[in-house]
Amino acid sequence: MDPGLVARFAAIVGARNCLAEPPALVTYECDGLTSMRARPGVVVLPASTGEVAAVVRLAREAGVAIVPRGAGTGLSGGALPVAGCVVVGLARMRRILEADLANGWARVEAGVANLDVSKHLAAAGAYYAPDPSSQRVCTIGGNVAENSGGAHCLKYGFTVNHVLGARVVLADGSVVDLGGPVADPAGFDLLAAFVGSEGTLGIVTEVVLRVLRKPEATRTLFATFPSCAEAGETVSAIIASGIVPAAIEMMDTLAIAAARAATGLDWPEVGAALLVDVDGTVGEAGHTAARAGEIARGSGALEVRWPRDEAERQLMWKGRKSAFAAVGRISPSYLVQDGVIPRSEIARALGEVARLAREAGLRVANVFHAGDGNLHPLVLYDARVPGEERKAEELAGEILRMCVRLGGSITGEHGVGADKVVYMGEMFSEDDLATMDLVRSAFDPERLFNPGKVLPAPRLCGERPWPSRVRPVEAADPAGPA
Amino acid sequence: MSAVARREGRGGDAVLGLVPRAVFEPSTVEEAAEAIRACDAEELCVTVVGGGTDLGIGGRPSAVGAVVRTGRLDRVVEHAPADQIAVVEAGVPLVALQERLAPHGQRLALDPPFPGRATVGGLVAANGFGPLRTRYGTTRDLLIGATLVRADGVVARGGGKVVKNVAGFDLPRLMVGSLGSLGLIATVTFRLHPLPEAAETVLLSGLDPEGLWRTVRGLREAQLEPSAVVALGAGPFDLAVTFEGFGPAVEAQRDRLAAAARKEGAACEVLDAAGAAGIRERHDAIRAADGLRLKVAALPSHFPGAVADASRVLGSAFRGPGFAGYPSVGVGFFTVPGPRAGDAGGGGPSAAAAEGARAVARTRELFERLGGSLVVQAAPEAVRAAVDPWGEPPAALALMKSLKERLDPRGRLAPGRHAGGI
Repeated sequence: MDPGLVARFAAIVGARNCLAEPPALVTYECDGLTSMRARPGVVVLPASTGEVAAVVRLAREAGVAIVPRGAGTGLSGGALPVAGCVVVGLARMRRILEADLANGWARVEAGVANLDVSKHLAAAGAYYAPDPSSQRVCTIGGNVAENSGGAHCLKYGFTVNHVLGARVVLADGSVVDLGGPVADPAGFDLLAAFVGSEGTLGIVTEVVLRVLRKPEATRTLFATFPSCAEAGETVSAIIASGIVPAAIEMMDTLAIAAARAATGLDWPEVGAALLVDVDGTVGEAGHTAARAGEIARGSGALEVRWPRDEAERQLMWKGRKSAFAAVGRISPSYLVQDGVIPRSEIARALGEVARLAREAGLRVANVFHAGDGNLHPLVLYDARVPGEERKAEELAGEILRMCVRLGGSITGEHGVGADKVVYMGEMFSEDDLATMDLVRSAFDPERLFNPGKVLPAPRLCGERPWPSRVRPVEAADPAGPA
Repeated sequence: MSAVARREGRGGDAVLGLVPRAVFEPSTVEEAAEAIRACDAEELCVTVVGGGTDLGIGGRPSAVGAVVRTGRLDRVVEHAPADQIAVVEAGVPLVALQERLAPHGQRLALDPPFPGRATVGGLVAANGFGPLRTRYGTTRDLLIGATLVRADGVVARGGGKVVKNVAGFDLPRLMVGSLGSLGLIATVTFRLHPLPEAAETVLLSGLDPEGLWRTVRGLREAQLEPSAVVALGAGPFDLAVTFEGFGPAVEAQRDRLAAAARKEGAACEVLDAAGAAGIRERHDAIRAADGLRLKVAALPSHFPGAVADASRVLGSAFRGPGFAGYPSVGVGFFTVPGPRAGDAGGGGPSAAAAEGARAVARTRELFERLGGSLVVQAAPEAVRAAVDPWGEPPAALALMKSLKERLDPRGRLAPGRHAGGI
């Protein structure tokens, strides 16, 4: 980037918080989707809404694209830079500004880590419900951009159900408050459109969060099954019984093995396992947990275990949460997919996944949010074997197409980002996408924010702003991608 | 292809006194699109009408060239019990949907007044809700997909049929409370909830504003999880708290609340089914009154005091204003039945009308001062003429106008009805 322009950005945020040297920029070339990379022109780390607004005004004046970034944990390339853009990192804005627990809300800066909100409120018996698995590091601002979910959204909903208001810097550099702590603000529900817009409509700098009182009791059960068919049937039967569990997580043989290897848990070698949380008052949680256990047994469970104490409960959840990373112990490389199917189709979908995997000659581990049909197939491969990564990507793509065929979605929580733009047309018609684009242009007519994400570029413009699928090894070239 | 049913407008089709030139009654999404295209071609401004229960919300449209009635869009397109979702055409009355769902042990967790008339599309457009909002939120929290017809007649779909889905912008939620000014809602897809096995209601009576807030706050602190918390009357308040779920758990919650209330010395009664139905009838009668209907909102901690003050202010201009609200959410409604609203200016400009308008304005001040709001949902003509239905323009008005211009560039959809004159 032109040094004169860099200096002007530095004048806004301070030289220390303005990165333009290649070694410093490398960190920002990708987010959690490391297979796609591009070098930004400059990275700025503003400390206030005013600084964000000044950065946006300058970028607009200079005609430079703006890519907002939280902690960079996203898995769809939502924070992937556009070559030469300005990346606006919110990491320095991490104050919890206000907590009004009696009225059930808190106001925080966008760079606050998700889990830090709940930690801050824990002593008062309150918490922030959405719990994406990266919650130790991922930011509230990033959660708003992605409409993040987590294991417990089955009962409690997603970010959109827990965000009451947002302070947003718009493309013209103006600052606007959408929503707020008081119910039913007048006018269109622009906040609903903003949440999940993946950084394409503006930059969120402050968020008013709904804060819940912790449930009185949480009960957990772990059940094992001969195969995913019985586990899937159990999920359907629990839901059909009228129970609304806080979470139902499912793991298949490979995922159980990975979790066992990572944590030393004495989980058996079985076809599938479910980890179920129910919560509520002591009476409600006890009753529903017992009933869920009976249903699991009636649906063919090999074994139903109850944690003896909170420590064992935490260990079970640690096993579930570590299953992702633990897959690294049983395979040199893997891809994480995120697709949704109607939950009644779990057994059929997993059968399809297994068939597709066999055809591709690859292994797939499944560890996912079964209660809402949110699959997370982990496609295992070896990047050292020529052609295998491409095969893995093709398989992951076929799994998404299957989700759409079954009436589901191409993403349940990771977002469309840069990664899945090409699949949007399989789920939505051109009219659907054009209508979404009208919403985008109402906020950002010049397409300054995060261009190329979420919505496919108009067909005539054709190319994506990134070289397709730049490999990490290529991006290590000091010249960077063109 | 069948042509959309069309006829001349009549007196009974009037929207706040404006008789439309044409009335369309589409029976398919494609016919709805055809109707909107016809209106576009003939330069007719469109008001979409479902059950007609909330047509008084907001401003009077600056023109009503055509009314599109959604009543013939009356099919439950799909109900997938195992997935707990339903795809429903906009004109299906809520009761008809609930009757389809109940044999499967399911419901849409939405209980506004007029369930027999209010349509699912209208409930989304008008953001309709009832006591269950306490636990389940509004249609915003229940809606997972929608098909809409844009002002240019293009049909667009957003969301999907699965609850967990973040693909694309959230067009469905953008429709919530849009009052037909961003597009015609043609179909909606909802997530459903299980019908509870048991329900128990506890009635506390004679609460002053402090007592009401203490009780509402106490529910949260005690980790009780009511489905509905309804305040009726405003001086003093009655508070009906309903627990739903599995039998023994519900009874335990009921008993804990009753014990806590008695310890505080509050008048407290555990209601039987007839008693609970009686409370529901009282609630519905207050909510349904449409001589005057004001929706008020404030933070829950401010809400009881503001409601009590407002009740006195409104009582000075209107005879016996009723109040029904949801204090744990901080939203409620002041109403006066139709015929009696005539006492305060039903018959045109008069001293009583001026007094009524002043009372509404003073009530709005009470709420706006606290960061809250007051929206006129129904009012006598003379009061409506003297009071802005929306109050303070929203902070994001410019952005809202920008959105309106993109989706309805010729301003054909309910022009002037929404906040800020949109």
